[in-house]
Amino acid sequence: MSKLVALPAPLLQQLKDETAAAAWFAALGEPFTGGDRADAEAYAASLDVGALELGQAHDWPEAERVLQAPDWSKEWWDREEAARRALLAEAQKHHPERALWTALTELTTATGEIVHGKAAAAVARMGGAAKASIHVAAGAASQAVYQLALARLVQAPSSPFESKFRLFAAGRWPLGVVGTRLVLF
Amino acid sequence: MSESIVVKTVEELKDAPEEYRDAVAKLVISHAINELYGAQVFDEPAIAYAPTPYAKWLTCRVAMEEYGHHVRFKQLGQQMGIAEERMVPGGGKRPLSIFEFPLKTWEEFVAIKLLADLAEILQVEDLLHCTFHPLRNLARATMPEERFHAQFGEDFSAELVKTPDGRARLQAAVDEYFPYLPSFFGGSKSKNNEIFRKWRIKQRTNDEMRADFMKRATEVAAKYGLTLPEVRQAA
Repeated sequence: MSKLVALPAPLLQQLKDETAAAAWFAALGEPFTGGDRADAEAYAASLDVGALELGQAHDWPEAERVLQAPDWSKEWWDREEAARRALLAEAQKHHPERALWTALTELTTATGEIVHGKAAAAVARMGGAAKASIHVAAGAASQAVYQLALARLVQAPSSPFESKFRLFAAGRWPLGVVGTRLVLF
Repeated sequence: MSESIVVKTVEELKDAPEEYRDAVAKLVISHAINELYGAQVFDEPAIAYAPTPYAKWLTCRVAMEEYGHHVRFKQLGQQMGIAEERMVPGGGKRPLSIFEFPLKTWEEFVAIKLLADLAEILQVEDLLHCTFHPLRNLARATMPEERFHAQFGEDFSAELVKTPDGRARLQAAVDEYFPYLPSFFGGSKSKNNEIFRKWRIKQRTNDEMRADFMKRATEVAAKYGLTLPEVRQAA
């Protein structure tokens, strides 16, 4: 069993700073940039679920349909979950469980406050969203920060959670894999 | 008979009678632990059972809000000088029986949000006029999220009851889980509740809250064509 070490405070602070500086939901529905495409390709490749085309949701109703599509990819979700569990198990080998759990809980709680407000602003700006969709967006964004925190704590730069966070940070929302498409909002 | 006292800040709490301080501490510890248990045994595991990414991320958000409630109660407790170990599971306090229910399906989670979060709303409502204002304010901050969680239960209940199979599965979940809930409000002759009411920290007896819950739970279940099983009331 490896020696347990305290959580790296500068790393957690950097995560908080990146979270605060991100352009959460600011580019929803906008045309893709080269950077969006590059991050989406990196995310798709790291998921390792086969070749994926890039798709786009243009407004909230379309995004809501994508998120409830009957052919959404369980493989995509399960791959992320398996990656998250592996990272968590690795992090628990190196850091005290209570301190790790407390840091992640406090990070996602603080993130939740930020992204919930940003999602609400995007809904107000664009219109057409179901009331619960603000919470759905905030849940997705908070989860992305939690996943990123695990990837950073165990120093896994090739994790899908780095490119996924970059998409969120650029104002996008990766809605997931539907059929053979990775759909961004 | 109630005592007249208002405590506006955590600093003022130091000058309050010992019985008042102990009572407030018990409530804060209880809420911190219960919010954490709820998130750990119901909300977080439910993400895996949610049927679509929409439902999964909505459940993620609900789980994070429940964890957030734990964080807020714990922070208040720490300001009051309560050790962190007393506000997390494993500190010697047994979990309430409602947390011993093993979550197995999405329908069970929807039933829990529909009914257990209603019970939680009643508990938080009782603190909205609390004489310890930091706790009152925390209850007020928490209430909109608790209401949203109960609405989550209503929205997905409405979805499930659209089909006979969905309705049957939800009714089975209600039948299995609901009997755990009445005891959530504590015993009829609770000494703690007597002290809470004496200092106007809480407003109602456990039996009054339980009766109100039974009435409101029956009404909300009926909205979706569901019935509640007969349960033996806590003594």
